Amino acid sequence: MIVAEQKPLDEIKGMIADAEKVLILGCGTCVTVCFAGGEKEVSILASQLRMATQMAGQDKEIREFTVQRQCEYEYNELAVEHVRDADLVVSLACGIGVQTMTEQFPEKRTVPGLNTTFLGQPTEQGVWVERCQACGDCVLELTNGLCPVARCAKSLLNGPCGGSQRGICEVYAERETPCVWHEIYERAKTLGRLDKLLEPQPAKSWKTSRDGGQRKIVREDLRL
Amino acid sequence: MNYAKKLLAQVGLEPERLEMFFLSSAEGAHFAEIATEMTERARRLGPNPLKNTKTVEPPKMEVEA
Repeated sequence: MIVAEQKPLDEIKGMIADAEKVLILGCGTCVTVCFAGGEKEVSILASQLRMATQMAGQDKEIREFTVQRQCEYEYNELAVEHVRDADLVVSLACGIGVQTMTEQFPEKRTVPGLNTTFLGQPTEQGVWVERCQACGDCVLELTNGLCPVARCAKSLLNGPCGGSQRGICEVYAERETPCVWHEIYERAKTLGRLDKLLEPQPAKSWKTSRDGGQRKIVREDLRL
Repeated sequence: MNYAKKLLAQVGLEPERLEMFFLSSAEGAHFAEIATEMTERARRLGPNPLKNTKTVEPPKMEVEA
């Protein structure tokens, strides 16, 4: 899922400073699942902003609404009246939701209430870890399901760097992040596929990643 | 409870205005102690700065799929 976390309250207060009617717009998909921008978080932020602005003697109207998926026009249509009524929209969606709102309602300013952080997996209650960098050329078959692009601090593709110790990556200060290349090796050994790791691979093309600029998929079979 | 206290602190309200206690209906004396403690705490902290501001009920909205 897309993982995000809420911006500091002071930063959001700064963004709404010039607006009188503010709509807090949540998203019911990824950011709901990672407890950053769903209906509950919208209500909490709206309550905080009502209290904070009243304490500051400001007369603001803070409204709240949550759509099922803020990255698609059809869902945002359900919020159209609330958007029209507002001076400013604080989106509690990922950056895609903020930009969809900006495109769909260009006359209205939509500002981000969240920082979109990464594509990740909830590994335990309250913990999310990056798992994919959307490089556009998946290597998980070669590495038996463990991504060196997202999970190696150096995105190495040819094995561990030599800085890992006892299976732990050297980069992170807490010294508890596993070296994914150590894990790739151990898993290949378990699967009896170590020989596959020794096979020379052609250089990975990074033009499908961010290096090629903004990416786009066009499916002619799906277009209307 | 810790999360709610943190939210209050971010807003600028004293987190100690909020507390949760667990006790059964048979613990009358304990209840009185808690009520006294919270009353003293409220007096020490002073009036709630939001007390005289208007209460805005969030508009009821239905989340549609």
